[in-house]
Amino acid sequence: MSEAMAESAPDARVDINELPGRGFLNVRLDPRDKHAVKSAEQVLGQAMPLVANTYSSGTHRVYWLGPDEWLIETDAENAAALSGELGEALADFNVAINDVSGGHVAQRLSGPESRTVLAKGCTIDLHPREFGPGQCARTALARATVLLAAGSEPDSYTIIAARSFTDYLRHWLTHAAKK
Amino acid sequence: MLLIECPWCGPRAETEFSYGGEAGIVRPLDPDALSDEEWADYLFYRANPRGAHRELWNHAHGCRRWFGVERDTVSYRIAGSFRLGPAGSETGKGANTERDD
Ligand SMILES: [Zn+2]
Repeated sequence: MSEAMAESAPDARVDINELPGRGFLNVRLDPRDKHAVKSAEQVLGQAMPLVANTYSSGTHRVYWLGPDEWLIETDAENAAALSGELGEALADFNVAINDVSGGHVAQRLSGPESRTVLAKGCTIDLHPREFGPGQCARTALARATVLLAAGSEPDSYTIIAARSFTDYLRHWLTHAAKK
Repeated sequence: MLLIECPWCGPRAETEFSYGGEAGIVRPLDPDALSDEEWADYLFYRANPRGAHRELWNHAHGCRRWFGVERDTVSYRIAGSFRLGPAGSETGKGANTERDD
């Protein structure tokens, strides 16, 4: 795209929207403890994804972050209650549940060029064959640590990052979309 | 840029990782029993070989886990990755990764 066109059509290729009212819980547990996994799943009403770099969808979204770590995205209003329920159900297990809602922000990136724009600052292979619906990756986007998830619709992504990086990432994405 | 195989996340770019030096350095069980020379050897001295080197990496932008990599210090070729555990229990050796340049 020429400079002139880029100037005349800023931000036309992607939409960046902060997802309002999202709450986040960080969960640590040993997945080899099948009872703990099952107890968590009963509270959540959906699977704890045990495969690396995947997430489960349902009432909440449960993202795999590491071999013993998950991030639950839920309604902000519901986060404290869900944290309590999980804590109660998992009281007998060696787990940690932390409400990290205040520290995280989710943004949705969509539009036909969203993959191209992301690829300017991200080294993972974003082709839908490699990174499709149900897949997520904690990775670096423009040098910031983000949790990137492929949406169920093509060319739509969720970017969850530390609140302090949100403005930076939005500016970077807006700028990357212009050229 | 190196392509490093995280034992959990798979191959990722070198920029997602931080380097942790030589692997297999065991902290002395009783530091008080060591001479200054032995303590300094544990703290500061490393093998720094020319050739195969087993070293620690942290997947800092990813799953945040420490793991081991065997890398040739001359060619930078990576022979494989391994998970850390008690001595002798290394498992999950990753697939071979070639230098991506
Ligand atoms: Zn990893």
